[in-house]
Amino acid sequence: MAKILVVDDEEHIRLLYSEELKEEGYDVITAEGGHGLLERIEQDKPDLVVLDIKMVDYDGLDLLQDIRNKFYDLPVILSTAYDTFKEDMKSIAADFYVVKSFDLTELKKKIQMALEARDAS
Amino acid sequence: MNETSMLAFEENPEQVEQADWVVGIPSHNNVDSITHPTAQAAQGLIDHFGDKNSVVINCDNHSEDGTKEAFLQTPSEVPKIYLSTPPGVVGRGYSLRNLIVKAVELQAQAVIVLDADIEGITPQWIKNLGEPISAGFGFVAPLYVRHKYDGAVANGIVYPLTRALYGRRVRQPIGGDFAFAANLAETYLNHPSWNDMVGQFGVDIWMTTLAICQGIPICQSFVGKPKIYQNDRNIVPSGPVFSQVVGTLLNLMIHFQDFWERVKWSKPTAIYGFGMGEVETPASFDIADDELHQVFIQGFAQYKQLWESFLENNIYNKLGEIRELPLAHFSFPSEIWARILYSYSAAYKNEVVERESLLQSLVPLFVGKTLSYAKKTERMSIQQAEEYIENECMIFEEAKPYLLSKW
Repeated sequence: MAKILVVDDEEHIRLLYSEELKEEGYDVITAEGGHGLLERIEQDKPDLVVLDIKMVDYDGLDLLQDIRNKFYDLPVILSTAYDTFKEDMKSIAADFYVVKSFDLTELKKKIQMALEARDAS
Repeated sequence: MNETSMLAFEENPEQVEQADWVVGIPSHNNVDSITHPTAQAAQGLIDHFGDKNSVVINCDNHSEDGTKEAFLQTPSEVPKIYLSTPPGVVGRGYSLRNLIVKAVELQAQAVIVLDADIEGITPQWIKNLGEPISAGFGFVAPLYVRHKYDGAVANGIVYPLTRALYGRRVRQPIGGDFAFAANLAETYLNHPSWNDMVGQFGVDIWMTTLAICQGIPICQSFVGKPKIYQNDRNIVPSGPVFSQVVGTLLNLMIHFQDFWERVKWSKPTAIYGFGMGEVETPASFDIADDELHQVFIQGFAQYKQLWESFLENNIYNKLGEIRELPLAHFSFPSEIWARILYSYSAAYKNEVVERESLLQSLVPLFVGKTLSYAKKTERMSIQQAEEYIENECMIFEEAKPYLLSKW
């Protein structure tokens, strides 16, 4: 069972993602911000991170860069309400991005693809 | 390839015997342009790696225009070494081979390679290409803001194919400016896939692919300024360059079949060098729609039978439909392009057609695809065009089962 870490400062998003992804058979853990995130990843060893881009106290793209430098092959999917983040080239360090929605079909598809890419290498 | 170099001549005026950091500048008749990258590289080494023993090396192809003198006379606080292949041995790959042999001899920890004919380089390039090596990355590929029509072979063939095959997203796999750690040098010097095409313009995709297939951490580094060539470049490179680059790519597919057959989808790399302020706009890049269209149309007269001999009927028929499209509505679907490249890969491996002829027959199709890309991205910003290319890459990844079926 793959373990997914959902990082988002909005509680309802964490709850929504947790419930839906658990129904898909994933083990889901959550974090509400970037504080201590690298240590959390080190400790809990998730197989994939779903990372909100715009959090109140943290810039998700900076966190993405920190994650990629320390955990080179850990899949990270950016979750965003807007697609303007693509203008920041730091975003290309993500495996995929999804636009936040109550329909998680796209997120589930991207999670599967990212895990397949990791497992195939 | 073994460790013997193609070195015929060396001039080492300061008797350098050891260097931690090496900046190499391959050249061939670059007297008018080599001073600038040499000076910038030396300044970058002083500014950012001043605590290291460094050297700037010009690895030349026996230029007869005074490149050597221009290089050695460039004022610099960093020592310089000049290397050259024998007369008649011309090729960027042979130059880099000499550079790598020398880097090993100098016990270098890192090697940074710069093109000899770029204007945009600043000392910051040395920092941004070198620092990821200090941080533990094994290979650093460049990221530039290029005009959306610049780098057509990379955009249309090398990037999507390399990404789909080997599963790593390296946006500029033939960028020309890159860095690698010393442990890769031994791989490069001893790898059996070296051949004459690699010795010429195939060397960049060869080095990138070997780095990816070694499984070492790869970083893409933003080098701050757009790539500006001092010499004009055509949207489609000359026949031999195209063949050397694409031929090397297809040869490597044969060599690394066991690797890419396992790969599914793709993964990003680490990114370095953002937050450096304003990004400059690259120079404009005009393309001649009419000429590209004519090259595509004329390709049918020359290669119709060849294409028909190995492309599936539905693909060949689709090409016929594309040919009938007027220029104003010209469109070459990416799904067809991906399948064509995969078909070419298999045909190359199986030697269905003599390989050089096969590679040349790809040129008009590539030109047609490039024309289609130019038309579709005509009103797009650079960022939007990048997203378009990313979507094309996904099409290549989704079509990979087709490659496996043809292989």
